[in-house]
Amino acid sequence: MEESLERRLSREQLLKIAAAAGGATLLAGRLGTAEAAQAAQLAESGRLQVLDWAGYGNDGGQAMFSAYVKGHPRNKPQFTYMTNESDALAKIHAGLKPDLFRPYVGWVKYFATSGLVQPWNPKLMPNFKHLNPFMVKAGQYKGKQYGIPDDWGFDAILYRGDKVHPRAKSWGLLFDERYKGKIAWFDDLEMLVIAGLYLGMPRPWRQSDAELKRSQQFLIKKKKLARLIWSSETNLWEAFGSGDLWIAYAWPNDWVQMKKKKLKVVYMRPKEKPIAWVGMFMLLKGSPRPRLAHSYVNAWSSKRSGKWLEDNYGYGHANVLARPSSSDLLRALQLTNPKAVTEPAAHLDRDVPRRAVYARMWEEVKAS
Amino acid sequence: MSIAARASPASARRRWFRLDLTTPTLLGLPLAWLAVFFLVPIAIVAAYSFDVYSIDPGPHGFTLQAWHAFLHSSVYLSLFWKSVKMSLIVSATIVLLAYPLAYYLALSGTKRKYVLLLLLIAPFLTSYLLRVLAWKVILGNQGALNSFLVWTGLRSPDHPISQLLYSRFAVMLVLAYIWLPFVALPIFVSLESLDRRLLEAASDLGATRLQAFRRVTLPLSLPGIFAAFLFVFIPTLGEFVTPSLVGGTSGYMYGNQIVDLFGTGFPDWETGSVLAIFLLGVVGVLTIVFARFLQPRQVTAE
Repeated sequence: MEESLERRLSREQLLKIAAAAGGATLLAGRLGTAEAAQAAQLAESGRLQVLDWAGYGNDGGQAMFSAYVKGHPRNKPQFTYMTNESDALAKIHAGLKPDLFRPYVGWVKYFATSGLVQPWNPKLMPNFKHLNPFMVKAGQYKGKQYGIPDDWGFDAILYRGDKVHPRAKSWGLLFDERYKGKIAWFDDLEMLVIAGLYLGMPRPWRQSDAELKRSQQFLIKKKKLARLIWSSETNLWEAFGSGDLWIAYAWPNDWVQMKKKKLKVVYMRPKEKPIAWVGMFMLLKGSPRPRLAHSYVNAWSSKRSGKWLEDNYGYGHANVLARPSSSDLLRALQLTNPKAVTEPAAHLDRDVPRRAVYARMWEEVKAS
Repeated sequence: MSIAARASPASARRRWFRLDLTTPTLLGLPLAWLAVFFLVPIAIVAAYSFDVYSIDPGPHGFTLQAWHAFLHSSVYLSLFWKSVKMSLIVSATIVLLAYPLAYYLALSGTKRKYVLLLLLIAPFLTSYLLRVLAWKVILGNQGALNSFLVWTGLRSPDHPISQLLYSRFAVMLVLAYIWLPFVALPIFVSLESLDRRLLEAASDLGATRLQAFRRVTLPLSLPGIFAAFLFVFIPTLGEFVTPSLVGGTSGYMYGNQIVDLFGTGFPDWETGSVLAIFLLGVVGVLTIVFARFLQPRQVTAE
């Protein structure tokens, strides 16, 4: 019923648009850019296809795109979920055609050069001017805005303060023999980067063959300590919440969720520094709904969405006007520091030139 | 010439026509289905494994590189062997567990055997995922089993048995639970179709019940046992859902690696296809080898 209604409305829209597009062409000069953009948005039909992470769609993240839904009730977003960027890439290769998706900052160069995405037009997003300039720049490749920054946070270590007594504030806690069977790693090649950081390598994202081999052997040797290599946050929350795990590679939201369960948890900033990430909305090349995609990202970029994200998920938001209600969170996320995500506070995640090699080595760690 | 003789060419034509159209009609659709949804996808996966197809935009063409790397990789072959061992343990264990159950149901002569059989397959009425997830509730640190042990005083709350969940043991336990009815059914069918007169004859010839079982019942039910074994061994060898839910690091299986190569890890469809085709080949060989044991058997008195 809903689908047929939608199809009917879409046809009506198309008829409207035939007129609107002609009108827009004739009157563009007089109506101005905003009106022309609105007319062009009307020309795009169907539901906006969004490939995003769990928690950012209709499974709890509705508040962050409510302005878009209000403005486009006939083009509500339809979500497909990704577990990480590789998963998104595989889904796109397998034929999924989203209008937009959200890889993180370390993938900007990869996707910009892949031919799969196209640059955004920031002029179509009024909230763009409020976004953190440093993060905006991180979303650029060769001067074009391929990524629109939104959420940001850290990869660090979450542990039970009542059970775990770290010898040092270090990534080494993920490899601590005393807590065998109580540790969780993350299912991503980034574990090789973390091993590189812990082992003191100068360029963990660009390890030489020998360094990479060393990181891999280190992880294989320590794998027996890890009970779980998680790829889904709900899986982590369940295992951590039930006491099966005491130490985990985690994101700020995991800390927030475990605090909600009244667990005594600590979110550690390792001395080797946490890895910071910035979510980057990307527009797929050939998207039939680019204007709607801009409108969706603009909704996500608002101060209101940012505050909601910070209050509820414990992530930072690129909108510099957004501030969380909790001062604890403000301090923990260093939200007043415009460069919290980079040196000297953290290592900003970055392009891995030999990503395929890293990935193969990580797969071998899991298989070994 | 008789009427029958005059009619025979026409009836033969009708018979030929019927034969000619019936067979392709009956077989055509399933064969087409098999070709489109089984053989063609396998051919495509095989093409990826030889780099004839590739998701990488760069140049590509027929190469054995991925196969060479796989066959010289101790990591993937070890993982395959680990999965074979796990599947063997699961299959053998549940065949041993299911046999007495099926024996009782088939040969006890109880009127309630079909009710009991229905109870056996009752878990199929719930979803596979739900059945696996239920074990998390049972095996977790705060799960039913550990809670019971704490309640009885056998374990302290601070020291539950933590290796129950997210372990190789958990994977094998859950797989055994899931596949038990699949094993019991073929054994039940083979035992129920057993000619009881053979057992009577064995008894008349002086065989004890144990001897009759060893010399008559067991050999005649072997096709059912092999079928049951294969029913479990083949799917569990490529299993990935159960290990990903309850397996943790140590329960990671060959099927998980295939999934990760196609998706979660940086997509490497070439290697993933090699692993998938290799698995298919092994399963194919096993099926051919075991097929000869699936034939009905004969027993002879010495």
